[in-house]
Amino acid sequence: MSTKATYAIYLGIIAGLAALGLLGDRFMVYMGMRVMLLAIFALGYNLLLGRTGLLSFGHGALYACGSYSMALVNLHLTQDPLLGILAGVAMAALFSLIVGFFCVRNTEIYFAMLTLAFGMMIFSLIWNLREITGGDDGLVGISRGSVFGLPIVKDGQFYFLVLFFFGLTLWLVHRIRSSAFGLVLAGIRENHQRTSFAGIPVKRYRLAAFVVSGMFAGLAGSLGAMLQYNTDPFSAHWSHSAEPVLVSLIGGLQTFSGPLAGSVVFVVLREIIERYTQNWMLWFGIILLAIIMGLRGGVMGGLEKRLRQRAATRKGGE
Amino acid sequence: MLESIVHVCLAGLSQGMFIWLVASGLTLIFGVLGVLNFAHGAFYMLGAYFCYTVLAALGDNFWLGLIFGPLFVCAVGFLVERYFLRYVYHLDLPYQLLLTFAFVLIFDDLVKIVWGAGSISSPTVPGLGGSVSIMGRMFPTYSLFIIAVGPLVALGLWAALERTWAGRIIRAASSDREMAAALGAKVPWIFTGVFVFGVWLGALGGGLAVPYVGLLTPGMGESIVIEAFVVAVIGGLGSLKGAFFGALIIGLLSSFGTRFLPSFDMFLTFILMALVLLWRPQGFFGEASR
Amino acid sequence: MGEILLKVKDLNKAFGKVVTARDLNFEIEAGVLTSIIGPNGAGKSTLINVLTGLLPLDSGHILFKGEDITGLPTYQRVRRGLCRSFQVVNVFPELSVFENVEIPVLAQMKKAGHIFRPVVKEKAVAQQVMEILERTNLAGEAAVIASALSHGDQRLLEVGIALAAKPSLLFLDEPTAGMNPVERVDILKHIRRISASGETTFVIVEHDMDIVFSLSDRVMVLNRGDIICDGGPDHVKGDKQVRECYLGEEVVA
Repeated sequence: MSTKATYAIYLGIIAGLAALGLLGDRFMVYMGMRVMLLAIFALGYNLLLGRTGLLSFGHGALYACGSYSMALVNLHLTQDPLLGILAGVAMAALFSLIVGFFCVRNTEIYFAMLTLAFGMMIFSLIWNLREITGGDDGLVGISRGSVFGLPIVKDGQFYFLVLFFFGLTLWLVHRIRSSAFGLVLAGIRENHQRTSFAGIPVKRYRLAAFVVSGMFAGLAGSLGAMLQYNTDPFSAHWSHSAEPVLVSLIGGLQTFSGPLAGSVVFVVLREIIERYTQNWMLWFGIILLAIIMGLRGGVMGGLEKRLRQRAATRKGGE
Repeated sequence: MLESIVHVCLAGLSQGMFIWLVASGLTLIFGVLGVLNFAHGAFYMLGAYFCYTVLAALGDNFWLGLIFGPLFVCAVGFLVERYFLRYVYHLDLPYQLLLTFAFVLIFDDLVKIVWGAGSISSPTVPGLGGSVSIMGRMFPTYSLFIIAVGPLVALGLWAALERTWAGRIIRAASSDREMAAALGAKVPWIFTGVFVFGVWLGALGGGLAVPYVGLLTPGMGESIVIEAFVVAVIGGLGSLKGAFFGALIIGLLSSFGTRFLPSFDMFLTFILMALVLLWRPQGFFGEASR
Repeated sequence: MGEILLKVKDLNKAFGKVVTARDLNFEIEAGVLTSIIGPNGAGKSTLINVLTGLLPLDSGHILFKGEDITGLPTYQRVRRGLCRSFQVVNVFPELSVFENVEIPVLAQMKKAGHIFRPVVKEKAVAQQVMEILERTNLAGEAAVIASALSHGDQRLLEVGIALAAKPSLLFLDEPTAGMNPVERVDILKHIRRISASGETTFVIVEHDMDIVFSLSDRVMVLNRGDIICDGGPDHVKGDKQVRECYLGEEVVA
């Protein structure tokens, strides 16, 4: 697909989401925001998993770094949402730099286990430092304020702030994936030894990928805190890191649009299943099984393959 | 002061042995199959529920429950390996983890459907339900029992792997799949067997947990599987000896942590795990190049 | 006499009791196509691994262009102009041939860190990549996924990736391993041609005698961690010790 066509499709998505924000009812608007937040989280996360080939269980904690920093700034310093978000992203970047510095020394399962350990350390700190973090209650009473004089108190208004950051994420991640840096990350995934023999400091690039994806986690976290008006200590738990993995896998690990499609499927499916049964986990587990056993490239991966096959047969027929 | 320390040590030992029971199956499966089994905690939970049901059906006989309960779980484990897990051995780590994670979701909800979403309080074991006085303080008899069971299981595993024909084949299959296949060993069936045996160990842990944790809840396996991960990592992924000592260390650390630094109990566990991974990624007893 | 590119001083490396390098001292001169040969287990591969930073050494020093690189990580050695290819195919399997070569070129041109600029806009990089693909005869395959190439082409790509780092010294680890005779003649032709262009000095680690003697200006024979013979192909061919320990019937036949 040409770059222009790609941009056209994404502009279409943004326009559709904007229409949803203007025309949709409260429920639709809320769901739209949930999808976009998850997509921000997953798009960033997939730079690490799908691109660099590293599985992290620590991104829930980085999300929480964003949430709690945003909340602390909001409650104690200023109610300016942009400053709060800035603080959230900066703090997530700082923590990912520290955590990542140690974790990128290892790969594969050892990397995953190290991120699990660091993530759970952050979780236990949030859980136990009640005076600062509110312990199991989280921090409550976050106010949304206004951006450049425009109020974002109502969901219908806040929606457009989320949409702005969603669009920004889409653009940034697309740029990163098509950059030289993005190609090098794919090289590290394919063959890290060869990458270092190409003259690339592999650990430093892994760390950079970790920090970049951590910043998106922080962005999603600070927006999430504003959406819910509070922070959730369990967002730091390792199991929250499994969410973007699931989403990327549903949509397709190696595609750019994978996490996007996956987020929609994840949130919508969950809503539908929960409406009809009490057992959302059961059905989700079954769907997950089906995806892993059948559609290994995820929804978008499968589509892409189908398209490529069709193009190939057409070419062969000429 | 001294008796307090002794009691903290005893509590740590029983906690450690308890984690070992769960970690042993996890470690065995990882060592031979190379799969980190997230669902191990779910098998542990199923073990607890099946034991509870069997013992309730057979007139509150704990021992019968402990013998027959885990067998049902083994059947479940067999189906999981035979029809699902077998097809992802060659796939990347995320796929394997997520497949086992899918089973966690499925089993947690199935337990809710079958046994109810609330928690079930468990019966005490006749003869082991009381407490004994150690240095003037009471200590639960059942915890002493667990302290004894742990090393027994370790000994049994060691004997099975080192001293039997099946154990030799399993060790050969784990160190070199292709060579073992060339020697005529039916590797897929060995894998199934090892998986089912590992599941049995987890379910046995669950069965033994019935009187120990006191309450059965859906999702009860999730915290213990993470503890078992920690233990397996500290000892060296795939090393049973490592898992045994790792469990002792974590049990004692968490027991002392709860006693003296109650807020940072979990923090201590995970910082230990991180330090071990950074200092010696292969763990205390893992082989240098894996 | 060309410039001394690589100087190895008192290099030692052992795995337990197996000594793979014992007090090795040698120099590699620019423009001299050198081959390192030796029977299996002579320590050839270990030597490359140590020199390129894949394995740590036990003692000794490695000087590259006069600078001590003994403790430097691999990528730093590559940046200074010391690179290698691998004995088994070691490419980026799911990337295109073009991208395979693009990664080292980006690194070499210090553009690998560009995080927002689309890589397709790096015209100078693309030009360089195509140049290397032409030199390795792969220009027609630029868009093909590397894992779909024939084995011989994958070996060429292997050399191409190594060349893309613009090394002044390039170790080729058994460049003809697993090739059929036609492919073998082909790749030798390419190596000779690229070597003659003078930018890169090759050191070939080989098993196959024909290649070594037809191609090299200088041959070093390694056996159990020692250099037992070092000199021109004719000198080595005539050496008694070499015949005894290694060449034996092959040369006689």
